[in-house]
Amino acid sequence: MPFVLEFENISKEYRRLVGGWVIALNGFSLQVEPGEIFGFLGPNGAGKTTAIHLAMGFMRATSGGGRMLGKPFGHAPTRRRVGFLAENVALYPRKAEHLVRFYGGLNGMSGVVLKARACEMLDLVGLSQEARRNVGGFSRGMVQRVGLAQALVNDPELLILDEPTSALDPLARVQIRELLLRSRNAGKTVFLSSHLLSEVEQICDRVAVLNKGRLVAMGKTSELLHSADRSDIVARGIPDNAFPDSVLENGLLRFAVPASSQREALERVWLLGGEVVSVNPQHRSLEQIFLQLTTGDSRSTGRTVA
Amino acid sequence: MRQIALIAINFVREQRWPILVLMLWVVLLAMLGLVLDLHRSREDVLFIFKQLGVYGVAFAVFFGASAIHNERKTRRIMAVISKGVSRAQYISGLLIGIGIAVTIFAVSMGVTGSWVLSAGGARASDVWSLIACLMLACVLSAAVAVLFSTVLNPLFATLATAITLGVPAVAALHFGSRWARAIPAYSLLDQLLQFSFRGGISIPWSLVVLALLESFVLWLTASWIFSRRDVAVAVE
Repeated sequence: MPFVLEFENISKEYRRLVGGWVIALNGFSLQVEPGEIFGFLGPNGAGKTTAIHLAMGFMRATSGGGRMLGKPFGHAPTRRRVGFLAENVALYPRKAEHLVRFYGGLNGMSGVVLKARACEMLDLVGLSQEARRNVGGFSRGMVQRVGLAQALVNDPELLILDEPTSALDPLARVQIRELLLRSRNAGKTVFLSSHLLSEVEQICDRVAVLNKGRLVAMGKTSELLHSADRSDIVARGIPDNAFPDSVLENGLLRFAVPASSQREALERVWLLGGEVVSVNPQHRSLEQIFLQLTTGDSRSTGRTVA
Repeated sequence: MRQIALIAINFVREQRWPILVLMLWVVLLAMLGLVLDLHRSREDVLFIFKQLGVYGVAFAVFFGASAIHNERKTRRIMAVISKGVSRAQYISGLLIGIGIAVTIFAVSMGVTGSWVLSAGGARASDVWSLIACLMLACVLSAAVAVLFSTVLNPLFATLATAITLGVPAVAALHFGSRWARAIPAYSLLDQLLQFSFRGGISIPWSLVVLALLESFVLWLTASWIFSRRDVAVAVE
């Protein structure tokens, strides 16, 4: 199956006026499959925005390359099939409806279709009442919604969103999440860069974590969240100090052990006359994984989940 | 083509205030037409008319040198070129936008000028010939400025443009007028600056063709360079 978005060993270096060269991306490779919501994570300065800008053709790679919808990065006609929302999107100060139509026009749309589509998109992002107002007077959250409307106006096959909900209130975030899920259900692909890990955890099929220009983890969200390294065990009928760091809840003792010691732990429960209620791979939050991968833990560097 | 037109119109819309400021000088020229005895004060009126022409070229350079930088600085360029717009189309849109701005100014200057200068004894056809030369000088100057703006910030792009346009003019003064043909913006503007009520004007067609060709080559070069430039740096 052809990839919708593909980075192939791509590197990008910048020269600063003071301080020499900065490596923003270092041999970065990634493939995004059709019809998935792909979460793109990383701390500030990791190279996420650089990667997105390379894909959109705003920059040229120092080495390596990539393809978007089957065409090399920077191929202008391909961008007509892509919707893009930049981080801290900046738009021209004019009426919201006119603005969305302007951006639709740049994608080759025109006439009644464009007008109807612009109104539809503003309605979708909850701005139908504000369509005739000048964007210059909008709050940051409203500008971001207009930005999303312009990204969606051409009914894109691939949606690339850089922090799309950073300026939105909780209600709007929920609406955008639902919108992204609807897009996926309609067969679209969403490439989502976000710092809101709970959001990514909820909607992304796969995630990749970037740190210092390198990919440090990639895989299905569910697989990343369930650690193969540790197991959560729930047992009853044993003393509550039988295992270190155990928690007693409603007569059930919960504790975690390394996966390699799981068998010994279970045998110990039975030896103590207890009963094993459940054994599961330990569930971690994306935040825990993110912190583990990006806070200089050398063991996590280079780890890739297939 | 639609994309180019949209970018051009958008440019004019974004630059509406500088264009309006420029138009104030045309209004001044019209006011003089209303209050002065045009036949007796015609040399003063002609001086203001020539001054307007120089302002037109200066604004064209200013527009050209700052257009890309302003869009990058405000980060508005990203939403534009994230669409199905090539870099060559983007540069074309900017140049045509500058062309529209110059045309608005020049036509209004032509309308007012043909009234006040005709009252002073000039032929309206001569005035419009001067306006055509001025427009071409503006477009060529803007093309030079846009070319430099693809690699330089507005200040240095303006300086580089001034040098590029000025060196042939200085060389012409010292070594003969043929040197001014290297980049004929000055030669075209000079048609306006040398105009007098006593003599007419004949359009220098060779300069016109040369200016058009050079503008085209400059546009191609600017597009080629701009398509190889990073337009965004990481915000992180």
